Amino acid sequence: MTAVTLILNGTPVTADIEPRTHLGDFVREDMLLTATHLGCEHGVCGACTVLIDGAPARSCIAYPVALDGCQVTTLEGLADDPVMAQLRDAFSEHHALQCGYCTPGMLIMARDIVLRLPGASEETIRDQLAGNLCRCTGYMGIVKAIETVAASRLGLAPVVTRGLRGPDRPVDPFLKSTGQLAAPTPTAEPASPVAATVALEPLVNPVELSQSFTVPAEPDVVFALFQDPARVIACLPGARLSEPSEGKTLKAELAIKLGPISATFAGKGTLSSDPVTRSGVIDGRGEDSRSATRVRARLSYTVASDAPGTTRVTANVAYVLQGPLAQISRGSIARDLANRMTESFAKNLAASLTSGNAQPDATQAPLDAGGMVLTLIKSWIARLFGRSSG
Amino acid sequence: MTVHSPLPSKGIGASVRRKEDDRLTRGRGRFVGDMKFPGQLEAAFVRSTVAHGLIRAIHIPASIKAQAFTHADMVGVKDILARTGLPGFRVSEQPSLATGKVRFVGEPIVMVLAASRAEAEDLAESISVDYEELPANVDMLDAVKPGATLVHDHWSANVFLESYFEHGFDADGLARLDAAPIKVTREIRTSRQCMSPLEGKGCIAQFDRHTEQLTLWTSTQMPHIVRTGLSDVLGIDHRKIRVVAPDVGGGFGWKGLLQPEEVCCAWASLKLDRPIKWLEDRREHLIAAANCREHHYQVTAYADADGHLLGLDALAHVDAGSYSVYPFSACLEGAQVVSNLPGPYNLPAYRCRAYSVCTNKPPIVPYRGVARTGVCTTMEWLMDAIAREAGIDAREVRLRNLVSAGQMPFRSITGKDFDGGDYPESLRRAAEMIGHDAIRLRQASPEPDGRKIGLGYAIYCEQGGHGTSVYSGWGIPMVPGIEQAAARLTPDGTLELRIGNQSHGQSMETTLAQIANEVLGIDPGLVNLIHGDTAMTPYSTGTWGSRSAIVAGGAVATACEKLGERIIRIGAHLLQEKPEAVRIAGGEVVCGAKSVTFREIAATWYLKPQNLPADVDPDGLELTAGYKAKADTGTFSYATHAALVAVTPDTGNVEILDYVIVEDGGTLINPAVVDGQIYGGTAQGIGTALYEEMTYDGHGTPLASTLADYLLPGANEVPHMRVAHMETPSPITRFGQKGIGEGGAIAPPAAIGNAINDALAGLGVELSVSPMSPKRIRDAVLAAERGNA
Amino acid sequence: MKAARFDYIRPASVGDAIASLGSTGAKPVSGGQSLGPMLNLRLARPSVLVDLARLSDLRAVRESDGGVHFGAAITHAEFEDAIHPDPTNGILSKVASGIAYRAVRNRGTIGGSLAHADPAADWPTVLLALGASVEIMGPRGKRTSTIDDLIRGAFETSLDADEIITSVFVPRLSSGARWAYVKSCRKVGEFAESMCAILVDPANGVSRIVIGAIERKQIIGNTREAVSDPDWAINALAAAGLGDDPATNRLHRATIARAIHDLQLEGADA
Repeated sequence: MTAVTLILNGTPVTADIEPRTHLGDFVREDMLLTATHLGCEHGVCGACTVLIDGAPARSCIAYPVALDGCQVTTLEGLADDPVMAQLRDAFSEHHALQCGYCTPGMLIMARDIVLRLPGASEETIRDQLAGNLCRCTGYMGIVKAIETVAASRLGLAPVVTRGLRGPDRPVDPFLKSTGQLAAPTPTAEPASPVAATVALEPLVNPVELSQSFTVPAEPDVVFALFQDPARVIACLPGARLSEPSEGKTLKAELAIKLGPISATFAGKGTLSSDPVTRSGVIDGRGEDSRSATRVRARLSYTVASDAPGTTRVTANVAYVLQGPLAQISRGSIARDLANRMTESFAKNLAASLTSGNAQPDATQAPLDAGGMVLTLIKSWIARLFGRSSG
Repeated sequence: MTVHSPLPSKGIGASVRRKEDDRLTRGRGRFVGDMKFPGQLEAAFVRSTVAHGLIRAIHIPASIKAQAFTHADMVGVKDILARTGLPGFRVSEQPSLATGKVRFVGEPIVMVLAASRAEAEDLAESISVDYEELPANVDMLDAVKPGATLVHDHWSANVFLESYFEHGFDADGLARLDAAPIKVTREIRTSRQCMSPLEGKGCIAQFDRHTEQLTLWTSTQMPHIVRTGLSDVLGIDHRKIRVVAPDVGGGFGWKGLLQPEEVCCAWASLKLDRPIKWLEDRREHLIAAANCREHHYQVTAYADADGHLLGLDALAHVDAGSYSVYPFSACLEGAQVVSNLPGPYNLPAYRCRAYSVCTNKPPIVPYRGVARTGVCTTMEWLMDAIAREAGIDAREVRLRNLVSAGQMPFRSITGKDFDGGDYPESLRRAAEMIGHDAIRLRQASPEPDGRKIGLGYAIYCEQGGHGTSVYSGWGIPMVPGIEQAAARLTPDGTLELRIGNQSHGQSMETTLAQIANEVLGIDPGLVNLIHGDTAMTPYSTGTWGSRSAIVAGGAVATACEKLGERIIRIGAHLLQEKPEAVRIAGGEVVCGAKSVTFREIAATWYLKPQNLPADVDPDGLELTAGYKAKADTGTFSYATHAALVAVTPDTGNVEILDYVIVEDGGTLINPAVVDGQIYGGTAQGIGTALYEEMTYDGHGTPLASTLADYLLPGANEVPHMRVAHMETPSPITRFGQKGIGEGGAIAPPAAIGNAINDALAGLGVELSVSPMSPKRIRDAVLAAERGNA
Repeated sequence: MKAARFDYIRPASVGDAIASLGSTGAKPVSGGQSLGPMLNLRLARPSVLVDLARLSDLRAVRESDGGVHFGAAITHAEFEDAIHPDPTNGILSKVASGIAYRAVRNRGTIGGSLAHADPAADWPTVLLALGASVEIMGPRGKRTSTIDDLIRGAFETSLDADEIITSVFVPRLSSGARWAYVKSCRKVGEFAESMCAILVDPANGVSRIVIGAIERKQIIGNTREAVSDPDWAINALAAAGLGDDPATNRLHRATIARAIHDLQLEGADA
């Protein structure tokens, strides 16, 4: 918990707050100021809009711990504000609300619009309201109400607030929280051991891609490398064996990273191969326990001689991802990034072969945005966060 | 003393300001999330991450066993069942926490309780579930194929119900249709949607030792039905359950069911003797409650060379999801597809088979405009296809086929009793308002900006407030009957009204006060509406089906009339006149120049009984009265929507340039409120037409878990709408009012789709899937270009 | 959903910030408008957030002959309202006004946007076209990087975990510079599905076209080639491995064509 002081609706409030508690929860749960409503908690719907240092902001993605010394104003704090009184009246007059759930956020945004843009047109108002969703009114009454109040301010000087930033506010030097980061996470009960998969289950509706590349080594050498789980895994960015492998099964972890998101898929796999055709399959499944996202993946390879001293490797990758990290929209980015993953694998494979027995840097950081799983997450992030930044 | 108020009317027909607004504009509403009880625990649910699978093991760390509950813990709690009386209906048993099998991504498996939601989510992360996955039924057309894995193992097919209607398809009829000069066959699809009220669902359950009642505060449209459902599932008498709906932040149908999470919270509050709170967050809503509008039609319309409809032959599939929800069941949507597809048209021959398909998706719940959005889209897209085929304007082909004013009252081919109105006139007016002829002229030359403009119409009728005779045929757990209201004059002469319906944004506190004003002359400001509390209100099936203004309005009027008779008796006595000689006006009892206020009358009854007549009726100034419609087949409001759009073929972007609605909602109680319902419904329909879609991958994993993926229309996406009213009073309701709550959401995909297809007709493009996203439009334009090449 | 637990540090100086970022799982945050949703959805799980928003060094604006250095914590709203010197004759203000919503613009920062490197965000594409650069501080001191070198791919930058962008330098445009910027979004304020920025500034020898919102690193090309070769866009997308979906290509082409059209309306001799 961290001691934080806010000027909340004009009154200094000091409270012990967990860093993760967002401002919307803080004002509602701790301060019992329930005008601020939560509609999505991911910064899209606008129901939770409050004023931070006078400027509209999403309270669901602001954290009190970062607002020490700031002024926070909720709708309750604007009860006596003359512009808000005018807006309340106009909202009622023009039937700008039905269920009233979006209304507090809508009113706070409306106040900023009429102050900042006196005389704003219908078109401007609709544009400025883009970040506040209403599901009941079809916006007709809301736009009209704001238009009326904005019109009444025509000729008045615009009042523009952006929120105070940085040096114009006293800074508590090196404020550090005493958060309980180390709160014990309950440990899972030991799961019963599961017999290693023998027959390969078919993957249903997998994402599939294939790549072919050459490496500077003889086919037998390359094929031998594929029989060594430690070396294969070492070529995969972000992957490591979690325990030594006897050669037929393996336990491994694959860490992936995408901007601020990271996940670690822990799992097991089986290796099978046919020396005659110099082909094989590495089949694995894993789970990121924190997000309960599961992946099943299969690498099928064949190695064949190419130019003298080189080998052509054909790799087919198929995978299925399920769970929260998969509950996302997908984009064209998948193939591009999965190919990058394979490219990286090929490069490391070549390095492993050319440097004799030396393995690629086994402690290498996960390829940023390079994992196959990421290819799926990424377009979702693009959708979710493409609107905003910083 | 003058008794006739010079003030404008506050009764029927007046756009009085809403009584709800003061508290809501001050942020002083009380939604379920605003409530907090000492000692409360908050729930988070571990939900299935697979669409279809056997639960092999649930791993709960020993340290949190006291806070985590599975189906095995809920001993004695029954499955949720929503049977119907329809022959062949297959019954699903829905456990409140999944057991044995999971049937959709998002199905709750473990309930975890902690002091805060954040902590409950921390604990939920430490629980893992082992599944043996089964093939998921993702597409309803695949789910009905032989060999599909069964969602419910003991069924013989993934079908809740097959509905069928046939008229005029005997051998002679078939021969006639076969010879029809115009036959248009289309495959039409509407996508799965998520109702997305801005407030998610939520509830708090607490056992009150004093009243020995389990109280469930819940964000619902139907508190009495939730109580009945809870009583069944928990095996507890009704008298020991109280359900209260506080302020509700929009419903649209999503809050019209008994939810497994409600059952879990109620059970846990009894088990632990602690208040248990659960608030559905947006992610849960999008994943576990994407639950409506997914239809598929294979349909052929037959017409003569002049565009007169000769017949309609349809095969429809409705994706009803994994379970039959209580109380509406999984069949309402499919059955209504069959009965409503013909719309407001004269149709000599009609055949339709509809399958309510069981899939591995969230259960379907009736969303605003139940089934009619899909059937209106299908019928109206067909009408435009006929118009193009016949070379007749889209307006004209409709005028030739619409039921006319002279045919009223009209019984449709499926037996719907239209209660009046002039459907062609609404089309003519809409065409005039949007400037039909000028648009046709404008379309003759290219737009300077290279865009294509198009005009589209859609007409629908909306059956509202239908009652016993309609619903008893379906035999669902809830058949609406006689609606009641209680009225009480308080000692200070103000009025309390109690209704079993529930207002969740529809302004009922205002409109019912206007009805009281109409009957008793009392100022709406002196009327208090108590609703949403089973302990305080008469039983009701709740708010759904565009019924509240009709049935609650009717009941309030009846209660006020009967209360007025009692007020008159006492008032007459105080005025020393005969009851026949006095009347009620402006909240007073009046006789000539003499008057006595309600306040004086009430004070006499309650506090100065010595001044009452000796033979006073002892029943007093409080009563419950009922409303029974003259006919319970429902009112038929209707409207024409006309849309003018501009489409950019290269980007697929659509701009709505103009949008006109001509609506006949009968007598308007509060025109501003009616307009608000129309605007709001239309905005949702625009979402259906252009933006909203829950997509799934091949495993049944939903691919939109945030509002950045699932796009709700904002102020820029909803145009300035123009509404005009025709007011044909319904002959079957108390004031001639009709149900209008859903209509706005019915027509937009039909009208906008027709406008887009009109715009792109020159390119040889005709889309038949909603939403008509930019990507779908670009795909269609590309396909047409390839076809033309 | 509620965020998983994290710790929070507000450093008093850039040096302290860099030191704090050395710990495992530390993550810098400025406006937090992209990070906040990911925290709440438990997708981002930093051990500690290091708050840069109030560092005075990141709030400074310094004008020089060649352009303007904007502190990395300058918000989109500040650009929108044009309260700082602008070397681009209003381009920055116009672009900023189209980022998300005002409530987001009040808190989101230019430096945070660049560090996030979302290919569909406005600043990366626009600043690439403007030829901007960033100043970066890390444990090994200060370095300067072009935006082109900073952005490696979608959500991927050359920043080390303990490096922060301290300022963004935007070069001054000549009076003859011409500009076009077009983006296509399904909803106002939502992410772009395609975007194109063009800067033609003959006096400075610049003729640059940038295609963004392609779910990988932006494509940078020469405007003259783009204008003279009708297949330029398709070839550029194909070269970037993005030629698969004709409907998506069509959108990118339309956006690029409109940007070129707008540029020509401006009277530029591309």
